[in-house]
Parts: sequence; C-alpha cells; structure tokens
Amino acid sequence: MIERAEAVTRRQFARTAAQAGALAAAPMIVPSSVLGRRAGAVPPSDQILFGGIGIGNRGMSSVACILSYKDARFRAVADVRNERRELIKSTVDKRYQNSDCAMYSSHEELLAREDIDGVVIATGDRWHTPMSIIAAKAGKHIYCEKPCSMTIQESQALAEAVRRYGVVYQAGCQRRNGKNFVFAMELARGGKLGKLQTLHCNAGTGTTWPPITTHDWLPAEPEPAKEVVDWDRWLGPSPWRPYNPAYVQGRWRGYFDFHGGGILEWGSHTADLCQYANDADDTEPVEYEPKGENTTPYFIYCRYANGVKLVHRDSGWLGLGTCSVRFEGDNGWVETGDTGKIEVSENLKSELPPPEQGNAFNLTLHYHWRDFIECIKTRSRPRSHATAAANTHIGCHAAYIAYLLGRRLTWDPAKQEFVGDAEANRMRSRELRPPWRLV
Amino acid sequence: MTQATQETVPPAKKRGGGQRPTTPPIPPEFQAAGIMKLDSPELVQILKDPGATLFQRAKACMRLAQVGAQEAVPALAALLSDQRLADYARFGLAPIPDPSVDDALRGALKKVKGKLLAGVIDSIGQRKDAKAVDALAKLMYHADAEVAQAAVAAIGQISGPRSAEILLDGLKKTKGPLRAAAAAAGLVSAEGLMASGDRKQAFALYDVLSRMDIPRPVRLAAMHSTIAAETALGRPR
Repeated sequence: MIERAEAVTRRQFARTAAQAGALAAAPMIVPSSVLGRRAGAVPPSDQILFGGIGIGNRGMSSVACILSYKDARFRAVADVRNERRELIKSTVDKRYQNSDCAMYSSHEELLAREDIDGVVIATGDRWHTPMSIIAAKAGKHIYCEKPCSMTIQESQALAEAVRRYGVVYQAGCQRRNGKNFVFAMELARGGKLGKLQTLHCNAGTGTTWPPITTHDWLPAEPEPAKEVVDWDRWLGPSPWRPYNPAYVQGRWRGYFDFHGGGILEWGSHTADLCQYANDADDTEPVEYEPKGENTTPYFIYCRYANGVKLVHRDSGWLGLGTCSVRFEGDNGWVETGDTGKIEVSENLKSELPPPEQGNAFNLTLHYHWRDFIECIKTRSRPRSHATAAANTHIGCHAAYIAYLLGRRLTWDPAKQEFVGDAEANRMRSRELRPPWRLV
Repeated sequence: MTQATQETVPPAKKRGGGQRPTTPPIPPEFQAAGIMKLDSPELVQILKDPGATLFQRAKACMRLAQVGAQEAVPALAALLSDQRLADYARFGLAPIPDPSVDDALRGALKKVKGKLLAGVIDSIGQRKDAKAVDALAKLMYHADAEVAQAAVAAIGQISGPRSAEILLDGLKKTKGPLRAAAAAAGLVSAEGLMASGDRKQAFALYDVLSRMDIPRPVRLAAMHSTIAAETALGRPR
C-alpha cells in the first residue's frame, strides 16, 4: 500500500513547534525500554496492538499467542456476552499486570479506536465475513477464524473487501504453517511426488458434524437481559429465531443459519492444504461429484482444470490425526495429520524431516500467528491470505452444494457460476439481516 | 519464520474438538425436514394459510429460495411488512430470477419502514436493480440512519454513471457516518465502473475519494486503486 504524507498547514506546524519548544525547556527522561535498549525489549511504538471480537474458547488460543509476544499487545475485547468480556479482560489484565484491557459490548466502539492495529475475529461462522468486511473498512488488519464464509458470495465479498482496503488478512487455517503440513505441501509443489494425480482431504469423521445442516429450531426459551446476552446481536446477519441458551453456549453448529456443515468445517482446513499443494490459490475445482448419503462414509470427487483430482472423504485414513491430507503423484505419495506424524512412499523416506519437538498443534498456531504479525510489519501477504481463503471456501461451498443436490456439478472459476444449473446457482448466496451487509 | 522458543510458544491447551455436547431435543413444531421437501405450490399455500405457524412460514420462505418462481412472488412480497418474517421473505425472493421480484421490492419501498425498509433496500442492492436508483437517491437522506446507510450501500452496488453522480453529490451534502458510508459506497461504485470499461468516470470518482477530507481507509484505498488501474498491464493504451 502506498501512503502519502499528510499535508500540514503553516498554522499546524507553528502550533506544534511552539509545543515542542515548551517541552524542550523541561528535562526529558525517556525510559530505556521506550528506546528498545533493554535486552529483548520492544519499544511500544513497534508493538502491534490487537483487539478481539467474539473471543470464545477457540479465540482464546489466539489471544494466548498474542499475550506471549513482545511485539504485540492485546488491548480490548468486544462481545455480546458480558461473562466472556469479563473473562477475557481478567485473563489479559493478569498477564500484563494492569487493568488496561477495555471491554465493549459492541464491535463498533473497538473498531473506532485509532490505536488498535488489528483484530482477532473469533465469533461464530455467521459473523466471519460481515465482521471481516467491517474491520477492513475500518482499516484494521484481520485474523479471522475459519470457516471464513457462509456462501460463495460471501467468499467473493471477503476477498474483494480485503483487496479494496489493502489490509493484511490471515484466515485461521493455521495448518498452512504447520511444519508437517508444510513438508507435505512442499513435496507436492516442488515436484518430488512427480506429476500430481490425486489430493485427498479429510471431510471429518462420523462423530463430528455431518455434511448437511438442519433447518430445525431448538425449543424457545425466555431471552435474557440484553446486558447479559444481546440475542439480536448474537444472531447478527442470521434470520431471527427464538432464543435458546444452547446456541450461545457453543452448540450452534449443525444449523443452516449458523454453520456451513461438516464439509466447510473440515474442508476449510484440509481442502485448503490441497489447494496450496496444487498451487491453486487463485482458483478452485471445476467438477464436483458426490457419493454417499448424509452419513459416514461419504465422498465428493472433484477435479481441477489442470486435471488434478481432489477427494473429500471421511474414512480410509492412516490414523495420523484429525485434519489428515494425502497427496499422490506418479512418483510417490505423502500423508500427514494433526499428530505431526508423516508417512511417505518408500522412495521418499530419505526426505522425511526429524520429528518436531513439542506440541505440534500449539506450535502450528504459533507459526501462523508469527507469519501474520511479520506480514503486518512488512505489508506482505501471509500464507492464508484472503484470496487463498476465498477460493478454498468457494470450492468447499461448491462441494457442499453438489452433495446437497445429490448430483454432479460443473463450476466455471472465471465466471464464478455453475454451468447450466440454475438451482445450484441460486444457492451461491443468501440474504443478510440488516444492518449487516457484504459491502 | 521465527524459531519457536519456550518463552514464545503459548502453553499447551486441552483440545475439545470432535465431541458434540448434548442439546435439547427438537420439538415437533420446530422440525423442518418435511417443509424442506415441498414444491412451490404447496409452499405458497403455507404462506397464505392463516393457520400456519411462524416457523412453517419461515421455512416455506427458505425452501422457496431453492424452488420458488414467479408464481411465489406475490405471497413472499406480502410478508415484506411482517416484523418477524420480512427477512425470510427476502431470503425467498432474492434468488428468484424473475423481474417481478424487482417490481415487488421497489413497490415495498413506499410501504415499509425502519429495519424492514433497510432490508428491502439491501435486497435491491443485491439484485443491482438500476431502475431503483433514483428512489434510493431520495432515501439516502432519510431521517432513519439505518435506511440512509442501506440506501448509499445499494447505490454503490448498483454502480453506473447515475450511481456515481448521486454519490458525488451525496459527498457534498452529507457528514459524519453517512458521509463515510457514501465514501465507502463510492469505492464499490468505482470498481463497477472500471469493470464495465468506464475508466473516465471511475477515475473521477477515485479522484474525489482521494481527497484529504475523506476517511483515511477509503482515501488510501482510492489512491491505491488509481495507481493499480493506471499501471495495470491490461490497461488501454
């Protein structure tokens, strides 16, 4: 992004110079920490300041990363639930040994703060795109949990907004920076597997969310006071339904209004890794063919324009942990998952790196956060930038639509529409409840 | 990539993935499976049935988003003034590829108020109904801030020379949050003009949006877009 020095009038310059003159008359004591002279100290001017929006259990992992860094500070939290606001504040204040963490019941106040450089968006899925767009319009850098969008249109709007405002965006697809996953992806990208044939992504297991969401409602319960839980705000862009505490307590997944289903839940991680392995961050598969009912096992066979196949499947893995991926080429294969363990074909065993020490899951998130922070400093694109995230999600949404309709679909990445299938095209978007919108 | 150290890696946290807590059972009156399999004529009947529940009509609207056609438009449009069902009605209307939807939404501009009006305007913007742009130009100055903001956003989405003209005029006449919204809408409008080949009008809009009295994020975006468009390899020469 190119910045232009702001014009200063002669009156402004004179006023500032007079103030500087008055200050110059007094002795000036500058702590060495401000100048970064104490060993390991980072001057406050070099610290990136973050706020958090909708920080639940998942968001706390990101907050924990920020709290552990010297070049970042967590300054404020916004949440519609007062118990979450207070919990985050007490955690942050305890870490910094002060009471500086501000609490807001609305994101608007947090985003209006000029000192805040970036935000962590860890709300429920329904808010991810609208909130990211609002944050981009406020000029804030964004770390947003996945899935990043509820529809194909939201994915497009997200990428457009980030590009339009030039902010740094990192999707919470942290496995893109996990060492075992990076090893596997680089084997694919670097040609060690030969010509890529088939990429496999874990679409979840039978014990987690099935691919198709429900339109049901939970039983109606009396709405709590707004200062306890702002139910209207919690719903946000989703259409109104009666309150039930289960939604707010984290059990909103599986409902059409709030969740993209198992394919989005898992594919936003695993299909995302396949996208990068196939050097396909600027596109998505062109064919989608579902097999299997809304139970385990199920498969969605996809194909990219370059001939490489992508298979979403929920079974037949080597037991290397959740979010497993497998890349097959005509010269070998590699499979890995959240345990950090890697299996390869016999001919590639000499390529295997030594096992990483420490908790692979936590280290992966740390690497992802360092990538984001360094890119804020350098204005580079992080590994999970908005365009990559958008195209991964478009592919997952297309796979879900094919699965829901129970038929083969062809997708045109250039026109961003399904070829010859009006019913599928109608499912690319959904209306939002005002005042939330995608522009 | 920074080498992880004991000081920099957050402590291990217990993972809770893969298990679903128990939830209350879904009562029969809130089970949608049956409605989500119906075809358009049956769904329209539900919308018209005075004995149908809120839930049934809400889900009929959602199913009509998938299967509805021109014959469903009147029944859906009738719900645009219902406090609880208006958003569901828009959900059902928006994907129907028939011009009667645009007529119905434009017709609703004079019939509904407040949040419901903002919702109708949002759907007009989604469908990029250029016939509505002059009506939206008036709503841009509505006393209800939500309506006014929806109007500027929709004008930006519709884009085109008339949209640019309205937004430029609005930037002179508005202030505060509405002016900021008009500026943001101006970026969207400019992108639409650039995509349609109207570079001259797009640059004129970017030029105004680059001025010092425009909110900083929009100002920087406009300057960046100008430079990108002027230096693009595919630009007209």
